[in-house]
Amino acid sequence: MSNAESNKEYWRWTESRYTNPDLNWKDVDIISAGVDVGSVSTQAVIMVDGKIYCYSSMRTGSDSPDSANNAMDWALDGTGLSLDKIQYIVGTGYGRVNVSFAKRAITEIACHARGANFIYGPEIRTVLDMGGQDCKAIRCDQRGKVTAFLMNDKCAAGTGRGMEVFADLLQVHINDVGKMSLEVEEEPEPVSSTCVVFAKSEAVGLLRKGWPKEKVLAAYCSAMAHRVVTLLLRLGIEEKFAITGGIAKNIGVVKRIEDELKLKAPEPSIDPQLAGAIGAALFAKALVEKERKKS
Amino acid sequence: MFEQFKDWYENRHEYAKKWKERTGGKVIGTFCTYVPEEILYAADILPVRILGSHEPQDVSEPHIFAMFCPFCRDCLAQGLKGRFDYLDGITIAQSCLHIRQTFTSWDLHIPVDFTYYLTHPMHIQSPRAIPYLTEELKEFKKAVEEWTGKEITEEDLKRGIEIMNTNRRLLQQVYELRKQPNPPLTGLEAMIMVVSSQMVDKREHNKALVELLEKLPSRSLDEPGERLMILGSEDDDTKFIAMVEDLGSRIVIDEHCTGTRYFYEEVNTNGDALASIAERYVKRIPCPSKDWPERTRVDHIVKLAKEYDIQGAIVMQMKFCDPHELDTPAIKKALENDVGVPTIFLEFDVTVPIGQFKTRVEAFLEILREEDLF
Repeated sequence: MSNAESNKEYWRWTESRYTNPDLNWKDVDIISAGVDVGSVSTQAVIMVDGKIYCYSSMRTGSDSPDSANNAMDWALDGTGLSLDKIQYIVGTGYGRVNVSFAKRAITEIACHARGANFIYGPEIRTVLDMGGQDCKAIRCDQRGKVTAFLMNDKCAAGTGRGMEVFADLLQVHINDVGKMSLEVEEEPEPVSSTCVVFAKSEAVGLLRKGWPKEKVLAAYCSAMAHRVVTLLLRLGIEEKFAITGGIAKNIGVVKRIEDELKLKAPEPSIDPQLAGAIGAALFAKALVEKERKKS
Repeated sequence: MFEQFKDWYENRHEYAKKWKERTGGKVIGTFCTYVPEEILYAADILPVRILGSHEPQDVSEPHIFAMFCPFCRDCLAQGLKGRFDYLDGITIAQSCLHIRQTFTSWDLHIPVDFTYYLTHPMHIQSPRAIPYLTEELKEFKKAVEEWTGKEITEEDLKRGIEIMNTNRRLLQQVYELRKQPNPPLTGLEAMIMVVSSQMVDKREHNKALVELLEKLPSRSLDEPGERLMILGSEDDDTKFIAMVEDLGSRIVIDEHCTGTRYFYEEVNTNGDALASIAERYVKRIPCPSKDWPERTRVDHIVKLAKEYDIQGAIVMQMKFCDPHELDTPAIKKALENDVGVPTIFLEFDVTVPIGQFKTRVEAFLEILREEDLF
């Protein structure tokens, strides 16, 4: 293996930003924003009258306040819009209290349910948020209000971070992991899923045994799916069911969850990793309206 | 107002050492709240409860199975680290397997002058449990007498009972104030108050409680926010309680062996002292390891929920605590379906992941708050 090869960061997923060309922030009523500072990724979403105007999605640094600032700066980049023109900003995610420019913090559990309602529609009753370092099963009503939830205990198995570890180990780019894991003729036994570190050493053993990469990935994706399905079953699933968070983009995990549940999760029309920030921006809009009513 | 209790809680070992110097008396470490402290007070011995310190540790691993509850391992670690080096003896009343292992391992590795394993009925719902325990208490009393070289008279026992009962009554009076719409104390203060009672001479604790009760009724705190109950296994995780209350809610009642299960019932003072003590420890609100075949604790929890007018309940347990784990579904069902109290379940370790738990508790409060943001 060449040096360049070994230095490649397989786990590094694509950062992105977007501006809606059909919208103009200058002739709108409410400009609101949500910033979701997660353990692995940070998103800033700016909405005009409840429609997505622009967003950014990038890696969280070691410093939460900086991550929030960077994501916001990048989202605003080239739009002519500035922070002071945003009427209300809600912070969410693990670093929600560190968003210096946010007026309020709301949990990512509430924001993901609200965001899933926006992305997938009001029929969604069960949301599985597969985040960077944790995983949440959420039940909500037709408005996207949380009615019950469960979170995995302190363990990275079944999370984005775990997937990054595997991408790195197998030297498969994170964006390709899901697809590759489906290139097996027969589904292998899942790796034991209790711990990423143990799963990783188990995977090393399987590679040594001569298993091809796709088979090892299949074993890991299926372990991950099984783990989150257990969480969902504990909470109880009501249809329709949707997935948010970075892992929602991993077809290998999504397909296996669907197979285990015998349920289909709808295809997202918007990047599902944005769900938390979208929810936060929608709450920010509601808070502007609430303030108006008061005065 | 709670400084004295906090000082005792934080400096438990210094307190016990000074108590020994001052009185020349003996100190016994107790495991589990089934140890009849009345008999120890009757013998002028200071009982102190052995609890953990909530610090990550690696000293207990060679001695106790890693899948035993973190609290029991934390307790053993305290012994192995020499934090309780002033103890003259240790005693346990038979309860769960995990704390028994802590006791036996302590006995093996941290020798003390006096060790007593008090056989305590597990089937406390049996009509034969009280006579059984009465006989066992006679043996325990005899062993203590032999060790101290001093007879424990019926008068001594009555004195021991009086000390313990006074403490129970005073704590209960403070808890009554928590039923008010705006209780004059926080859940954190209540926890420190009750846990400190298990570490210091109850006569001193009683004095402090009398003083507290003079001042408390006129104390006024900020609006309490959501009224919560916390229940489950051993819990003196003050960091967690502080975090929950910092989010704008108030814990108004607990159901823990470090809280109400420790002090709720008094010993009857008419009749034979040992039989009355036995009766109290058989009939008290049980630890789930003894709550068989009826699960009486579930009704008790529902009763507390109503009395303290709670809006939500935090159901916690130490990881791997099987007795509590078994009760959890029944408790959740009773609270949610019978009295409409939403619950959140959390599994504790020696240290809790405070960031993640904060997210969960905050999301739970968001559900309770019903704020219209839609």
